[in-house]
Amino acid sequence: MIFQSQTIKNLGLMLLGIFLSVSGLHSQSDPTAQKRVSGTYVIQNVNLVASPGSNATQTSILIKDGLIQEVGRNLRVPAEAQIIAGDSLYAYHAFIDVFTTAGVSRPADLERPSDFNPSKPSDEIAGITPWRQVLDYYDAKNNSVTEWRKLGFTIAQVAPEGGMIPGKTALVTYGGPNSSNVIGRQNALHAKLRNSGGGRSLYPGTTLGVMAKFRDVYKNAELSAKHDRTFASAAGINRPERNKTYEALYPVIDKQIPVLFEVTNDLDARRAMMLQKELGFSLGLIGLQESDNLIADIKRTNTMAVLSLKLPENGASKAKKDALTDEGGEKLKRVEEAYQKALGQAASFEKEGVPFAFTSAGIRPSDFNKNLDLMVKAGLSEKAALAALTTNAASMLGISRFAGTVEKGKLANIMLTTGPLFAENTQIKHVIADGYVFNYEVKTAKKESNGNNSNGSADLSGSWEYISETPAGSGSGVMEIKRDGSSYAGTITYDSPTGAGKDTADMRNISWNNNELKFTFSVSAGGMNLDVNVSGLVDGSNYSGNLSIADFGSFPLTATKKPNQLNQ
Amino acid sequence: MKKILQAFLISLLPMSWSVAQTPTGSVLIKNAHVLTVTNGDLEGTDVLVENGIIRRIGKNLSAPASVEVIEANGMYLMPGIIDAHSHVALDAVNEATAPITSEVKMADVVNPYDIGLYRALAGGVTISHAMHGSANAIGGQNITLKHRYGSGNPEDLFMKEAPRTIKFALGENPTRVHGRGNGIQPRTRMGVDAVIRNGFNEAIQYKKAWEAYNNALKVRGATPVPPKYDERLETLADILDGKIIIHCHSYRADEIYGLINTCREFGITNIVFSHVNEGFKVAPELAEYTMGASVFADWWAYKFEVYYSTAYNAAILTRNNVITSINSDSGELIRHLYHEAGKAQRYGELNDQETLALITINPAKQLGIADKVGSIEVGKQADLVLFNEHPLSIYAIPQMTFVDGVKYFDINADDNDMRLRVSASEVVEPIFLKEHEHRCMHGVDFFFTNFGRSLFNHSH
Amino acid sequence: MQFPNIENMKKILSFILSLVLLPFLGFAQYDGEFVKPKNGRFLLQNATIVTVTNGTIQNGSILLANGKIQALGQQVDAGDAEVIDCTGLFIYPGLIDGGSRLGLVEVGSLAETQDYAEIGQVTPNMEALVAVNPNSVAIPVTRVSGVTTTLTMPSGGLFPGTAALINLNGYTPDQMYAGFKGVVMNFPSSARRSTWDRRSDDDIKKEFEKAQETLNEIWEKATTYHRLKTAGAALEYYPEMEHLSKVVAGELPLLVEVNAATDILKAIEWIASKEVKAILTGVAEGWRVAEQIAAAKLPVVTGPMLSIPTRQSDRYDAAYTNPGKMAKAGVKVAIRANDAENTRNLPFNAGFAAAYGMGKEEALKAVTIYPAEIFGVADRLGSLEVGKDATLLVSTGDPFETRTQIRHVFIDGYRVPMSNRHIKLYQEFLERSPGLEKN
Repeated sequence: MIFQSQTIKNLGLMLLGIFLSVSGLHSQSDPTAQKRVSGTYVIQNVNLVASPGSNATQTSILIKDGLIQEVGRNLRVPAEAQIIAGDSLYAYHAFIDVFTTAGVSRPADLERPSDFNPSKPSDEIAGITPWRQVLDYYDAKNNSVTEWRKLGFTIAQVAPEGGMIPGKTALVTYGGPNSSNVIGRQNALHAKLRNSGGGRSLYPGTTLGVMAKFRDVYKNAELSAKHDRTFASAAGINRPERNKTYEALYPVIDKQIPVLFEVTNDLDARRAMMLQKELGFSLGLIGLQESDNLIADIKRTNTMAVLSLKLPENGASKAKKDALTDEGGEKLKRVEEAYQKALGQAASFEKEGVPFAFTSAGIRPSDFNKNLDLMVKAGLSEKAALAALTTNAASMLGISRFAGTVEKGKLANIMLTTGPLFAENTQIKHVIADGYVFNYEVKTAKKESNGNNSNGSADLSGSWEYISETPAGSGSGVMEIKRDGSSYAGTITYDSPTGAGKDTADMRNISWNNNELKFTFSVSAGGMNLDVNVSGLVDGSNYSGNLSIADFGSFPLTATKKPNQLNQ
Repeated sequence: MKKILQAFLISLLPMSWSVAQTPTGSVLIKNAHVLTVTNGDLEGTDVLVENGIIRRIGKNLSAPASVEVIEANGMYLMPGIIDAHSHVALDAVNEATAPITSEVKMADVVNPYDIGLYRALAGGVTISHAMHGSANAIGGQNITLKHRYGSGNPEDLFMKEAPRTIKFALGENPTRVHGRGNGIQPRTRMGVDAVIRNGFNEAIQYKKAWEAYNNALKVRGATPVPPKYDERLETLADILDGKIIIHCHSYRADEIYGLINTCREFGITNIVFSHVNEGFKVAPELAEYTMGASVFADWWAYKFEVYYSTAYNAAILTRNNVITSINSDSGELIRHLYHEAGKAQRYGELNDQETLALITINPAKQLGIADKVGSIEVGKQADLVLFNEHPLSIYAIPQMTFVDGVKYFDINADDNDMRLRVSASEVVEPIFLKEHEHRCMHGVDFFFTNFGRSLFNHSH
Repeated sequence: MQFPNIENMKKILSFILSLVLLPFLGFAQYDGEFVKPKNGRFLLQNATIVTVTNGTIQNGSILLANGKIQALGQQVDAGDAEVIDCTGLFIYPGLIDGGSRLGLVEVGSLAETQDYAEIGQVTPNMEALVAVNPNSVAIPVTRVSGVTTTLTMPSGGLFPGTAALINLNGYTPDQMYAGFKGVVMNFPSSARRSTWDRRSDDDIKKEFEKAQETLNEIWEKATTYHRLKTAGAALEYYPEMEHLSKVVAGELPLLVEVNAATDILKAIEWIASKEVKAILTGVAEGWRVAEQIAAAKLPVVTGPMLSIPTRQSDRYDAAYTNPGKMAKAGVKVAIRANDAENTRNLPFNAGFAAAYGMGKEEALKAVTIYPAEIFGVADRLGSLEVGKDATLLVSTGDPFETRTQIRHVFIDGYRVPMSNRHIKLYQEFLERSPGLEKN
């Protein structure tokens, strides 16, 4: 799409980088013996589905230093090539994740000054950090990256965490451990309609303020650019005040890179589209759900549509099973219809001929295959599903030249499966990411392995960053959990009721059973002590639960463990 | 009705709602007791609506065969009810983070799926003024909504002909949130007045800076540097230029009088006071200098600044020639504004026409749309409600509600479940009880906490 | 339909003024001397008397003496009674509100004036009557609407305290007490509390079950306490159980606040299993399980009708039609406004109930004789019968209609002044002096 130029530049740099590093590495020994012997591979006699919708043809693929050198039945196998027996396997271009925060840690909240005025916070405290580069917060060795690769993902646009404008995304591969794995920097600007940065107690706190502030920042960036230009070309002009927020928006106002708005439903998407219409930037909608009725608008405005892989829980079937409700008949039917509609959203986009891709943001790796299967069963064609994860994604990211299909001259991002991609019991045997080969054990019977009832070997200790959502906005803080003998102890920070900075409280009554973590903490405000109860499920480094406050209600809270601590 | 709407939506799917015209309808209502509000009552009279506009009012009218005819013998037809203070169909209400937030727009957060819209229609309300909350001395820009329930596009609900309006708020709420909550001005009624004055004066400077820049641009070869853009001040400047009507949350007579003076000083005449529980004490001033007062029928004593209220407020204001309306500020009251208005007959014995004006032509005047809606007159938009009995009787039940001639509520045809959007995962539906409203109101100290402030993002 | 407004308004104003000033004109030392509630013998003459229990009497009169209705009919001798001409007017029994917070709170948001919720989950020994403020400004504001009696209730935890029926006239709680008390219980709820209650369906179910367990444990304790006490055991001071044991003994009924349909069914089951004397209150979703409530023969106090449907999927008028549907199923239904300062809206709630299926007659009973029966005070209140308390209202018409004016209110034999702060502010500010200009 729009961000070709930046990517091309970056790609050039990267290729140059590979060339230099290869020659550099030759002079080094590797006493850890982890370096591969050769970067040349031949996948022999594999059933290749070169692009979505094309027929599987038996062929061989020659890969050298991350590039597909040749595809053909009778290609010459170089002496240095390692052979991957393709025989009964199928080859596809590996998946491309148009938007993810996997491996990205959240920048620490800035300490609020003692004379903090919540109505005029600095941009950084307010969650407006367009200058931030995601790569400064990205850990390629993070567990979740490994998990997504295992599912067939090899290229991703990673986005920074943060407030209403978290910063710039980057394009990475999920390749070898000694490579930088960076394809491009500053590919897009990540933006949100809610400000989870500093919590609700500062401006802008709600979608109302966030939209107004976005307009403000954008229009002033335009004026600032104008001032800069005038200053550069004319005399007698006063010095432009350097403002890194505005400067970081210049590529957006020049339409070199798009703004990727994270949205949850059609109303959010319309809000982003409204801003686009007013301001004129190029727009990507990230995480579309409940947006069937927007398809026509998306088509008309040619907006980049990235659908969420998230699906709601099937409430109706659960209700029938557990007798959760006194309602039957019509109302249960409507719940069922809503569920079917959610499953069928991608199919509806396909039917209307609107190209779309997927984002993994918001789902656990373990849900990926399950949800994709459900969408296919609900009418999404296998071709469209594959296109969403390969060619459409590549085209949206402006990388079709070297990614999206398996053919000579493209980068070696390939997955080898035991059968056709959407067939039952098909498993991934190899993922070739950026020319590096990752092998996976193929199980004889496909089954989910995470049904255990213990807490496993997981350790709670570490720093957990949480976000809580309440009716008008969100709050955030950190839970520091330490092992204390056989139990745990910890502290939690939260947005101070006085509106300035964070307060800290002890986590009390911490209990951890069957992956369920529960605790209580006290908030003191205006002479009152309020007990806040938190409970939820731990899944790896993710925590998802609720916080409830006496009689006032219960609100969602999610947390992630800081990745750098996971990899110690 | 829902099915018709759905069918309608589907038929429109290939085009886009945002480029399509909002739907209008034609209908002939026969032999109704027509309460015109502005021209008295007409017995046994027909009203002909064509393409959303009232075309004829009279006896023995006829319409083309394609137009639906409704036999309304014995029924009462009144103009669609207008609520000058509502928060229905909004995803967020308060940007409670700064004392002035004139840059925020309620149009940005309209939620057309809110069941509250349908419930309002079932109470005869066709237009509501979706307002920012009362946390800030100067809040956000409101949006006037026509209750075209069924569209998923917020813009289809916007009454595009309505002038811009903005929320102001005086007294306890802004001083509690900013002064006592965040330690910044205003903490007192003095501070509220100062914050508003500061805003206006800054807006004057801002406007001058841009005028200077725009003038300099006209000089050939000039290279002026643009000032900073500030929608907050731009909006305040528009208020000073008379382009925006202020709707000010207020309770006490002193603060109302104070803002009247400030407005007079800045040459502002487009101001309506909302709630105005002590408006009756400054009724002569409200009559002389403002676009009136939009009040509760009988709410009082839920906080200190409304302790010295009287349910006779609407009557006193009306008798003093203040343009007076009765509003809901509540997803509950909006369903029976005809009954809320009726209380002005218990408390002050207003006559029927004066009472009906409280929820029709008067709020229309306060929203600047009285030339289009608010009464049954030829040429006006066909927002109409049909009642089985006189709407000011406690036994009155709305039968049908029309917006632009399209029937959006029909007591005999609608399904029970009129939700447009259903959760796929939550089968145990939330249960709403009156009890909780009380709890929220009484939990004001809780408002001091961030949690609390988030929970009760709006209190009256 | 049209009222001749100005003329009429002046008439009513001078009428009110005469009420305030006339009795004291002779020896008034201050402007606007206070009118006190007046006890004595009164004859309300030539009215339409709606007795509620014995039909309607045209051109009838009522003689009030010694706090009671002494005589009633078309021919009643005035004797030395003060005659009040009621030609063209209607007399109804005083309206009884089935549940409020009246007198327990003065200004809703001010914690200093909130006396309805004590700390603790189990506080049945908290007596609402003790905390009723007889001088609350809201009391005269309420009674001029014809609402003469209300059940004022504590709220909060599982057993928040003991509610008391009070008349809205008197200077001490004892003078106001109308002869009924009940222990409030908030039955555990399986309902999602609002859209912002994000507990999972499972969690809700689990928490509900746990709350029920807690309730049963407490009840078990109360039963044990009662058994041991009855057996003559010397028990340690335990005021909570002491109070609950009165419920176990049947001395005090339980006012079971319950709203969601499944909770109502559970509550019915619970009440039956504990063999306790109970009244269901709230019952917002009663219509869903009306047959079962009727079969259990439990009386219901429900309201307000003027509230939103409990569920978004419900028909828009679910709250309006709720009392009518329960009544049709055979439930004895009383109505409450469930308010404090606006308890005066009770007749309007009844009006909505009437319009939406309950019918005028049944709705009138739901604010008069039914609550009197449910609270066990039907020998004194709830209808116009000889021997009952002189607690009634005189109006220009149907008291449910907003256009009707209430002309006189008698409570327990006292003619209460038809004035309050709302009316006084009206008198002061209708024609403010000085007006716009100060001359």
